[in-house]
Amino acid sequence: MRIRTADPSSPALMPGSDYIAHVDVNSFYASAERAFNPSLEGIPVVVLSNNDGCVVTRTAEAKALGIPMGEPWFKLAPRAKSWGLVALSSNYELYGDISARVMELLGRYSAWVEVYSIDEAFLGVNGTPVQMRQLGRTIKDAVRRHVGVPVCVGIARTKGLAKLANKLAKHNQDFAGVCHWESIPEDVRDGLMSRLSVVELWGVATRLTKRLNAMGIRTILDLKNANPVMIRDRFSVVLMRTVLELQGTPCIPMEEERVGRDQLIFSRSFSTPVTTAAAMGQVMSVYAQQASARLAKHGLQAKVLTAFAGTSHYNQDNISYPSVCVPLPMPTADPVLLHKAANSLCERIYEGVKYVRAGIMVTDLRPTGNQSPLELFENPHEERGIGTLMESVSKKYGRGSIGLGSAGVRGGPDWSMKRDMLSPRYTTHWDELLLVKAS
Amino acid sequence: MAHVSNVVAVGLPATVAAVHPLLVGESVACGWPSPSQDYFDGRINLNEHLIKDVTSTFVVRVSGDSMEGAGISDGDELIVNRALTPRDGSIVIAILDGELTVKRLQLKAGGVVLHAENPRYPDIKVPDAASLEIWATAETCLHDLRP
Repeated sequence: MRIRTADPSSPALMPGSDYIAHVDVNSFYASAERAFNPSLEGIPVVVLSNNDGCVVTRTAEAKALGIPMGEPWFKLAPRAKSWGLVALSSNYELYGDISARVMELLGRYSAWVEVYSIDEAFLGVNGTPVQMRQLGRTIKDAVRRHVGVPVCVGIARTKGLAKLANKLAKHNQDFAGVCHWESIPEDVRDGLMSRLSVVELWGVATRLTKRLNAMGIRTILDLKNANPVMIRDRFSVVLMRTVLELQGTPCIPMEEERVGRDQLIFSRSFSTPVTTAAAMGQVMSVYAQQASARLAKHGLQAKVLTAFAGTSHYNQDNISYPSVCVPLPMPTADPVLLHKAANSLCERIYEGVKYVRAGIMVTDLRPTGNQSPLELFENPHEERGIGTLMESVSKKYGRGSIGLGSAGVRGGPDWSMKRDMLSPRYTTHWDELLLVKAS
Repeated sequence: MAHVSNVVAVGLPATVAAVHPLLVGESVACGWPSPSQDYFDGRINLNEHLIKDVTSTFVVRVSGDSMEGAGISDGDELIVNRALTPRDGSIVIAILDGELTVKRLQLKAGGVVLHAENPRYPDIKVPDAASLEIWATAETCLHDLRP
């Protein structure tokens, strides 16, 4: 029987591209730090999440110490010194710039680059197997030479296989960081897939793994040999695509940019718990402003705003996870409307309860001006350009220099992010440039 | 049309600021057009001249006086390019004991030397050229001339 592999309107591969290269930076955050601090080479380094909470990036040396991903820093801190472990706060400004440099460079090797996340991208490429292996090495060397971070490259006929090839390139020394899947003899490929658990696969979560295991599908090879139709019926069309991709049929189309990103989330934990509705209102104002700026930057408007907060997992008393979902009066990026919507969370905040995290999510995003509302319903704030004005003021005078409502009040509760182990923002702040020794 | 004023006023990113005044001028369609408008291609953009490759160019700040003789003073900024291959005589940022250090690279018949441009600092002979790590090659020095 014939299986429809993908939406016929969306090309499975870019026109003229035989292969897809998946490029991603090894231990991205830690590698970005090492690029500016050579003394971090060869020693265990971890980068911590917002607020110095948990480990989000480990170098190979840190993994070798047995430090699990997501380990809370307070558990590691007492032993860090004896291990020679260096921990760093997330330097988002630096990582963002390094990421942009990597992506710009990748754009020189393909006209089709899909930036998949801060540290990985898919490229449409073509040529012979020999040329593919050479291209992989060229890209790897260029990123190292220009930006100073190590990458691995996986190249294959499908996105799923390119990602798998990248995983092999990363973990198997023989590949030296570059793996062209179709260059590997088929029996060897099957052997490699039979040694990898399905959980290693892109998009297969732990819960799904349990169900697959129950059916006797344990390794990636088992899944490849499964009947795609049965997989679709028992699981989902998404997993069926994964099976087809493993078999070499491209099903996940290249996207030039994920304009269809359907949500933006602004969320973090606080250095000091927020315990009053008034303080939460201030938090919400700031998030609303950030969301507005981000939406404007991407030329998007949101239709729905969700605001949420929560108490600590480590504290079992007074558990509270309030959330509100507010349909916006019209698709908007207007900070005033977003601010109003986000603030409705405050009614559900219990005074005195210690909230350690909060956030907002804007969903149902659409490009600005896709469908213009009737003049009558046009939001007066939007017309006056408050969003863009606020954006340009904060660009010029720094974040926190202008705010709406309670976000404009300085010196409020100290809930902003704690980054005690932050390296300098070498590439984005003139006062924090990298120092080089002349002595 | 109300939105046009927003865009012109504040919506343009910094990178297109150089052509910005032209856009404003053109939208005001009254009076005799300025003959200079035809010749206005935007102001000089220093980035264009000082940064050859945005992916590999970084700005670093010098700490110390060991390169005075090359016109590089304490506190000056250097525009460096990580992708350049240094030559004999290049000002380089070398990695010495995990630290980034500015030196002049000398490729001599007798071997590689990292030379300081200040007699108070000795030359460093590099015994094994293959082990020498060059972090970047300097292209330009930004030196504040104000007294």
